[in-house]
Amino acid sequence: MKRLTKKLMAGTFAIGLALVSATGAASADSSEPIKIPIKNWSSQIVMAHVIGGMFESMGNNVEYVPVDNQASFEAVRVGDITILQEVWQSTMQNAYYNAMEKGGLIDAGTHAAETLEEMGVPNWVIEQGLCPGLPSWEALKDCSAAFATPDSGGKGRWLEGPQSWHGEVMPNRIKGLGLDDTWTVKFAGGADALWTELEAAKKEGRGTVIFNWTPNFTDASGFTFIEFPEYYDGCRIADGGTMDTTGCGSPKGWLKKGAFWKFPKTHPNAYRAFSQLSFTTPQIGSMAALVDVDKMTHEDAAKKWLADNEDVWKPWATSVLGEGN
Amino acid sequence: MPSYLKSSKAIQFGVLFIAFFLLNALIGPSESNYLWRLPPLLKDIPFLINDLVRGLMFEWMPIDVYDPSIDEYEQKPLFREITRAISSSFSFVINAVREFILGGSKTIVAFSSWDFIKENPWAVWPALPWTVVVGWAMVLGYKLQGRNLAFLTGVAGLYIAAFGQWSPSMQTLSFILIAAPVSVFLGLALGVFAYKSKAVEAFLNPLLNVAQTMPHYSYLVPIIVLFGVGDHAAALVTILFATPSMVRLVLLGLKNVPTDVVDAGRMSGCNDFQMLFRVLIPTAKRDVLIGVNQVVMQCLSMTVIAAFIGAQGLGSNLLIALNSLRIGTGLEIGICIVLIAVVFDKMSLAWANKQTDYFADLSFTKRYRHFLIMAAILVGGIVMAMIGSIIFEEDFNYFYIVPHNKGLTTAPFWQAGVDWVWDTFFYTLKSFNEWLITGVLVPMRDAYLAMPVVATFLLVMGTAYILAGLRSALIVGGFLLFIAFSEYWDRALITMYMATFAVVVSGIIGITLGAACAQNTFASKAVLLFCDFLQTFPSFIYLIPVIMLFGITDTSVLIASLAFASVPATRFTVEGLRSVPPVLQDAGSMCGVSRLQRLISIEIPIAFPHIMLGVNQTVNFALMMVIIGAFIGTIDLGQLILKAISEPQGTGIGITLGVCVAFIGLAVDQIIRTWANKRKLALGLN
Amino acid sequence: MASQGDEAEQRQAVIKCESVYKIFGNNAQSLLQNAQGKIDAKDALAAGCIVGVNNVSFEVSEGELLVIMGLSGSGKSTLLRCISRLTDATGGKIFVDGQDLLTMNSKQLMEVRRDKMGMVFQNFGLLPHKTVLENIAFPLQVKGINTKDSIERAMNMAELVGLSGRENYFPRELSGGQQQRVGIARSLAVEPDIWFLDEPFSALDPLIRKEMQDEFLRLQSVLNKTILFVTHDFDEALRLADRIAIMKEGVIEQLDTPANIVLDPATEYVRKFTQEVPREKVLKIEDVMDPYDSTEEMSDIKVSKNAIIEVVAEQILSQDKAVGVVDDNDNIVGSLHSSHVINVLFGNRSQEQQG
Ligand SMILES: Nc1ncnc2c1ncn2[C@@H]1O[C@H](COP(=O)(O)OP(=O)(O)OP(=O)(O)O)[C@@H](O)[C@H]1O
Ligand SMILES: [Mg+2]
Repeated sequence: MKRLTKKLMAGTFAIGLALVSATGAASADSSEPIKIPIKNWSSQIVMAHVIGGMFESMGNNVEYVPVDNQASFEAVRVGDITILQEVWQSTMQNAYYNAMEKGGLIDAGTHAAETLEEMGVPNWVIEQGLCPGLPSWEALKDCSAAFATPDSGGKGRWLEGPQSWHGEVMPNRIKGLGLDDTWTVKFAGGADALWTELEAAKKEGRGTVIFNWTPNFTDASGFTFIEFPEYYDGCRIADGGTMDTTGCGSPKGWLKKGAFWKFPKTHPNAYRAFSQLSFTTPQIGSMAALVDVDKMTHEDAAKKWLADNEDVWKPWATSVLGEGN
Repeated sequence: MPSYLKSSKAIQFGVLFIAFFLLNALIGPSESNYLWRLPPLLKDIPFLINDLVRGLMFEWMPIDVYDPSIDEYEQKPLFREITRAISSSFSFVINAVREFILGGSKTIVAFSSWDFIKENPWAVWPALPWTVVVGWAMVLGYKLQGRNLAFLTGVAGLYIAAFGQWSPSMQTLSFILIAAPVSVFLGLALGVFAYKSKAVEAFLNPLLNVAQTMPHYSYLVPIIVLFGVGDHAAALVTILFATPSMVRLVLLGLKNVPTDVVDAGRMSGCNDFQMLFRVLIPTAKRDVLIGVNQVVMQCLSMTVIAAFIGAQGLGSNLLIALNSLRIGTGLEIGICIVLIAVVFDKMSLAWANKQTDYFADLSFTKRYRHFLIMAAILVGGIVMAMIGSIIFEEDFNYFYIVPHNKGLTTAPFWQAGVDWVWDTFFYTLKSFNEWLITGVLVPMRDAYLAMPVVATFLLVMGTAYILAGLRSALIVGGFLLFIAFSEYWDRALITMYMATFAVVVSGIIGITLGAACAQNTFASKAVLLFCDFLQTFPSFIYLIPVIMLFGITDTSVLIASLAFASVPATRFTVEGLRSVPPVLQDAGSMCGVSRLQRLISIEIPIAFPHIMLGVNQTVNFALMMVIIGAFIGTIDLGQLILKAISEPQGTGIGITLGVCVAFIGLAVDQIIRTWANKRKLALGLN
Repeated sequence: MASQGDEAEQRQAVIKCESVYKIFGNNAQSLLQNAQGKIDAKDALAAGCIVGVNNVSFEVSEGELLVIMGLSGSGKSTLLRCISRLTDATGGKIFVDGQDLLTMNSKQLMEVRRDKMGMVFQNFGLLPHKTVLENIAFPLQVKGINTKDSIERAMNMAELVGLSGRENYFPRELSGGQQQRVGIARSLAVEPDIWFLDEPFSALDPLIRKEMQDEFLRLQSVLNKTILFVTHDFDEALRLADRIAIMKEGVIEQLDTPANIVLDPATEYVRKFTQEVPREKVLKIEDVMDPYDSTEEMSDIKVSKNAIIEVVAEQILSQDKAVGVVDDNDNIVGSLHSSHVINVLFGNRSQEQQG
């Protein structure tokens, strides 16, 4: 035990030392590592390593921190992670803006990529004619029976992501569209639950209406999003809409970046590169595909992507140096 | 109360049920009727807690801290600075262990700075070849126990290295190597305090329960704010989770030390310290060792949860693999976790069992033989790694470190296995699943939700009164009252319905299985090993096949809960029955009772207190898994806890919800524990 | 363990109890304050207390072996635990070597136990995780004696109690008798002055018990300790005791030599208790001899006045004439005729039974 206490004391002391001795010049980037979160989906991880690789090429130290998506929004506020590289509008905007409101998180710009997150069906559902008329939402009126599950009470089931993603949007939408007599919403616990359901439904050849997004690894096996009435600002109940308007579909979503508020001060160059950085949908798709389709490891995929796309990311990294003078 | 009512518990329960059903029939749903649902008087509690915790985390006692990185002074709350200092020491130790094996520069940074590293590229500790680490571990295993343990260690190491899980495994190991000893030490210390003072015991007991039953997710946000994300935070959460059962078992063990032994120690003139470490704890060794085993198991069962707050290693890799439905990879990782658990467990037990040999020949070479061998392994390993770098020029070096997710893989095989399971069982299970949901679960849930609040109180408090007495009934009532006054009563009812189902079924499974296996030494060992496996094998892995087979339904949640919650019931039953003194068994046999009679009338009553400890844990485990069921998709308290994390007032809501869950656990604990103690007294087992 | 004060304290009792009480229960103190002298067990029970030891006073002098007897639950163990302070007496004073035991702090108490006291327990109280040697060496190691010396001494002790060859066994691998030998060896390892034995042999079968008693007597003849020995076996008490204390419900009913207890029971309880005791096993020649009459014609053989009748009865009965009784210096101090012996042994008892 004595030894442990000693170690602990040594550790605390050492960290104290590190704090004292770490004096960085304000203009150059600090040599303290930039902490990049690793979450649990492929594109995010590859992008983490791509961005990390870019930072490293600029001479920065980088550290990867695995962290739960929900937890990351708290962690970034206190600086335990430095950046958020992939904030999806539909599933994460609540957490993102809440964290910003609480302080500590700053907006670091938006990717060029547009995302779509919506209820949809795997293609075989349409091919087998389980619900003629899809992808128009009107078709749902007559085919709910094919989507019933033992616990849905005879109604068709929409499998929505966890409640933390969009709260009551989907239950409201069902009511708004007048589908609530024949349909019900079930919240899945997480993304793996969604993908498992997709797989199971495919094996059994039964229909399923499920929340999904693109770009995603499920794109490869074919997925069709349902077309709902067009989205406009304020159509949803939470945004001041009414029961009549809340049946609207999802907007084309943004994909944002965020950073710890000290990041621009500690790593001005890296921050500027990060805020300029912007990936397009195909670029993100190609990152994910290297892992999901080509079965590479995330690190290797990032290396390959960086090597293949120097013209894409080099300008972000170098333009900074020019402007920094 | 008329005396004939007092006489028979059966009659009492009869009366209770009649009253319960009458209340159910008489009171219909109505928002304004307080007999139906209590008003949410406590709905402000989450916000109060929120303000309190946030105040503590962000405002209380601000001190000026200079931040050199931005060359500014910053106001930081004292409390957080303290917790952060604890974090730093933890992460320093974890990193030191990790980098010793895997290489790196953070430990050097701790003594210098990042700038220093940047300017001195040589300042990196190199990774040890896996052969060296495994070789050393084998020597350790040999020294502690002998050839078998060395062999087991070797096989485990080989598996881990060859399957490309070396780095994540060592990352996981490095934080277990810190978390487990700290838990053991803390558990011992608290257990001893509780043994010495009744007041401490009374104070600790509910805290331990809360720590065990409060879902991790509910205090994730405060933990992140206070301790940060990373291995240190994960280690802390793990310690919080693993310590309680250690405390319990230490206390149990100490209480069971025969008075003669205690007296003998005192008459030998032991001081308090000697008494503790040379008499009490060694004599209570059996229970202490079970505690150590539990700590190891629980630490490893936390690897996945730990990954949510930044533990590097197997847990986070597992989550990533599962998220793209790579079950085969997930399984391989799961097996790594189990292997580490088994080796770690065996080593700690062997270490604790080690005897001093006074007659050993202590010549230099003999005494330092193991060190010499280890040095030889180091040299040999490095040479091999060098040779490897020539042989495997093209590919990566099998003799140094097989990179993560490369190397061998059996993933396709497992994937095929999952397909096979699906093909074989799906249609059989489908009808069963439908029957279970429509015939049992949905009616059960509806029945729970249709209970007027007074009826629930009557039933629970009545049961507590009959089994455990008035005091327990009042305490249990207090717990329920908190939940009933919160906004979460209906959600809590759903949690209760799932937990009840899980506890009853896993209790039956566990006790039956345990009792059956306890009859035979080999079966006992096998079932305990299986328990270890189930407890450490990450439930997230079998969640996926389970979801495939049973869909996103309560069935899946419950099956996952059963797999986990049956473990303590089984384990404690086996252990309890196995430790019934042979004299009593013989006495029974001589009275001419049959094997079954002996089990029922002698062994089970004697082992009852121990079994009840297991049931108590089963309740905790079941609650925990039902809450984790939120990851499959539930509509109970767990789902709200998940949701709370990203909400502005989430801290308070999360903690309040967590407390609600813990109170359910505490209520059950109160009844079971008091009842068990009463039985114990009645049986004269003390 | 000779202390400087030896000469001065020669006559002083090694153990001295003055009105010792041990009452279990919450109201113990108030019960004690209201009581003058003995506490009535029924009153105590009414107050929710159990009386373990009730107003006990006695002294034990150096080298004396006092046996405490009584039925189960009579408070023997409790008294012993009070004197060793394993439990704190509720009231009264206890002196060990003139030092007030009850005022000692835990450190002093520890010292006393380490140097002066040894104890043997009914259920052995062996440490299950230690071998025979380690168990015996334990009190020494606790004192801080290094491993080598303590193990060496333990080896000797093991030999003394006849455990050679089993030094590395664990308690669970030993028979009951062997385990108790370990307990005895352990209690003697520190060479205590005072030796407490709480029913040390009652868990053993009769044959082993006899063997252990012999062993015990042999040890005592070598070691000559001050001993408190608890038993509820009268035969055992008679074989060993210098004096016997008989307890009932926490009270010492009588404390006297074996002979006096048998010949002259102080209370009805003691009389009943000793009724079945064979006289020849208790009485010494001294107790029954006639005064020496120099005119009488004496037989050739002589017996020691300290001899137990049972041992020499056959000798005496074979003689027609009276047998001379001699003291330690071979001086004749009395005489004994066979008819008298027969009378003492059998006549007396039949009288009692009639009366
Ligand atoms: N810790 C205790 N708390 C309450 N009562 C006790 C306690 N220890 C002993 N007693 C009571 O004190 C009385 C004397 O007990 P004690 O153990 O001294 O008897 P004993 O003469 O040694 O009997 P035995 O021959 O069975 O060992 C008994 O009535 C017992 O119930
Ligand atoms: Mg006793």
